[in-house]
Amino acid sequence: MVAVKLSVAATIRKPVLDGEGRSRLDDFGRYVAQCLPKYVQQVQVTTPEELHLMIAPEGVLPVMTFMKNHHNAQFASLSAITAVDVPSRRYRFEIIYMLLSLRFNTRVCVKTYTDELTPVDSVCGIYKAANWYEREVWDLYGVYFAHHPDLRRILTDYGFQGHPLRKDFPLTGYVEVRYDDERKRVVCEPLELAQESRSFDLSAPWEQFPNFRDTKAAQEICVKKPKSQEK
Amino acid sequence: MSGRNIIKKTTGLTGLIVCSNPKYMLTRLYAKLVRLLQQMPLESQYSDNDVQEIEDVIQCGQVEELIIQAENEISLARNVLIWKPWEPLLTQPEPNQWKWPPNKN
Repeated sequence: MVAVKLSVAATIRKPVLDGEGRSRLDDFGRYVAQCLPKYVQQVQVTTPEELHLMIAPEGVLPVMTFMKNHHNAQFASLSAITAVDVPSRRYRFEIIYMLLSLRFNTRVCVKTYTDELTPVDSVCGIYKAANWYEREVWDLYGVYFAHHPDLRRILTDYGFQGHPLRKDFPLTGYVEVRYDDERKRVVCEPLELAQESRSFDLSAPWEQFPNFRDTKAAQEICVKKPKSQEK
Repeated sequence: MSGRNIIKKTTGLTGLIVCSNPKYMLTRLYAKLVRLLQQMPLESQYSDNDVQEIEDVIQCGQVEELIIQAENEISLARNVLIWKPWEPLLTQPEPNQWKWPPNKN
């Protein structure tokens, strides 16, 4: 019902897969979940068709190896690693690995989670491309990757403090850099800015997307457990 | 791909050289794979579907690519025996972990 309504609007991306392609996507998600029931917690298909595998943080290496080396998957290319910070959750960081299979022309997202202190296994041993992406996530979110060959900051300046994409990082940062005319050099000082005025109320009095009130962000795929694990 | 008496000169892919005896290599690799898969429990989906997989796999690129794929699969199968992913779920997620959008109930 919703899909029909969406396809009319010119500004909304139309569903790219036909019924057969969609069911193949569902089947693949189910297949992975049944191959790796130890690690896969949930399988979802988001609104523009994209497969998301939610896995336990212990399963990063097995799942990524499976996705790269299995005949049916062959996701040989890692297109990005990123993270999302949701401070209200106990494990506030979502780590998202985006994979591309050139053989099957398919993309998939593998998601896991962690908090500020728990390290996630680095996938550098599987995907060379992960090296810089993991440094980026470490730099911007402060997620520690265990066994990474060279975990340093990559985007921010030398001696930078804090992780800028965390939700609790102030918009202004912690320090300011300016040219000091008396000392004739650039100085870096703690920021002096009245912080009382920073309580913004960002909620609008109207509803922004009334057409999407009932649209689910993602649709969960029901996975049947292997027979040996049914209760 | 090529006719019976034509000598294949190139795979057309950088860094992938033509294999002189692809049939022998593939047979050996697949036999190795099947031996590994036999060590897994029967109910494991992984080993279950994979024999079927081997039959369909001919539609999956050139033989040289198939050899790489088979080698990948072998290294994966060896690791799978160590990881035992057919066991029950290791960690249950927190109830609100995969809820999206996170602020809605």
